[in-house]
Order: sequence, then C-alpha cells, then structure tokens
Amino acid sequence: MKSLPPEDPLDPLLDRWSQLPDPSPRLAAEVWQRLATGRQRAPVERGIWATFGTWLERPVFAACFVAACAALGILLAEARLGRVERERNAQLARNYLEMIDPLVNHGEPSEIRS
Amino acid sequence: MKRPVLILLLGLAVGATSHLAYFQHREPASTDTLEGQLAWMRTELHLTEAQFTRIREVHQASHPQLRAMSAQVALMRAEFAEFEKARRTTDRVDFLEFARFVETRRDLNERCKDSTRRLVLASAEVMNSEQRERYLRLVASPAAREQSLAN
Repeated sequence: MKSLPPEDPLDPLLDRWSQLPDPSPRLAAEVWQRLATGRQRAPVERGIWATFGTWLERPVFAACFVAACAALGILLAEARLGRVERERNAQLARNYLEMIDPLVNHGEPSEIRS
Repeated sequence: MKRPVLILLLGLAVGATSHLAYFQHREPASTDTLEGQLAWMRTELHLTEAQFTRIREVHQASHPQLRAMSAQVALMRAEFAEFEKARRTTDRVDFLEFARFVETRRDLNERCKDSTRRLVLASAEVMNSEQRERYLRLVASPAAREQSLAN
C-alpha cells in the first residue's frame, strides 16, 4: 500500500490560484504593445559606445580602426604641411624682396616695374 | 571592456605618432641664406639648370653691393631719427645739414632702386615669359605681391 505524500505548504496557495480573476479584455493588445516597445528600445539602450566597444572586440575591426587612425594622422599632417608651405612661401618671398631691395627692409618699398 | 579601451588608446597613439613622424619627415627646412633663397626661386619658378646658374651668378654679383646699400639705408634712418630728436628737444633745425641729408638720401634711394631694377631685369631676361610674369609679380608692389602669393 502506498503512503500519502506529506502535505506541501504550497498546496493552499495553488488551490487559491484556481480562483484567478478574468484577464483584462485588452491583455493581448497590451502584451503586443510591450513587445513592440521593447524591440524599439533595445538598440537605444545599448548605446553607441557600447556598440563600438563590441565592434572593437573583433580583431578585424580593431586592425581597421588602428589603420584608419594612422591614415587620419597622415592626412592631418598633409593638411598642416600645406598651410606651413604657404606661410613659408610668403615668408621667402618677403625675404627675397628684402634681399634684393635695400629700401624694403626699412619700410620704404620701391616700385619695381618691368 | 578593457580590450576596446586599449585598442582605442592604441589607435590614438598610432594616429598621433604617424602625424608627427610624417610632418617631421616632410617639414621644409628654413632657408635664410642667399643659396636657400635662390633654391626657393628655382622651385617656385621652375627654373632650368642653365637659368638657375645664370640667375645665381647675377644675384651673387650684386649681393655685396645691395648689402652695403642696405647698411647705408639703415644708417640714414638712424641719422634721420637723430634729426627728429634734435628738432623735438631743441626746437631748432640745421636746415643746411638737413637739406644735405635729404639730398644724400634721395641719391641713395635712387641708387638702391636702380640696383634692384637692374638685378630684377637681369634675372627676368634669363626667364621665359611665364616665369618672368610670375617673377615680376613676386617682386612688384607689396599689394600685388600679396595678391600673387594668395593665388
């Protein structure tokens, strides 16, 4: 003969569960709305930096990022060189004029015409 | 999260290093000497070897004279400042001496302009029309020169 299992403390609670109220008529609509909102929010909550960090975890992307940084550094150096070159040319032209025209050096530029 | 930060820092370090290394490697050297100035002219005006040699000769020949004139101009300016100082402090002017000064200065100015003009024309003579036009723009009035450099 089988002995009866000991009474579980959850049993009265489960007995009460059978007396659940009727669900709201808008339950399905609310569930779908929550799902839709969750889907929309997910990428925003992740954030740009978090996404970028995840991408940086990939070796290929990391190598590309470092290479892009090097290329950007060279590009900026080239732009800076262009500016320096223009300033240098202007200075050299002034120096040349001072060298060939003694009056320019002393604030009395002479008009040189062909 | 440590690895992305490290890669970010590595990227910044590589970018900064490449920028500095490239800039230092390509940075133009300063040219204050006559040779440096002429080398700049050579590049700027696309002079041929023969043109450059002739232009260098012309410049080297006139350089000592122009330097001496430059020193004379500086001297005259100092002299003029003395005149002005004396006029302000004593309220008197030695008109004879001042007239002599003005005459000397006018003569010096004319000689300076003449020397410069001869040097410019001698240099321009060696150049082709395009080079000459660009060269004359460079040595023309300051306003025209600024315009030329801006283009």
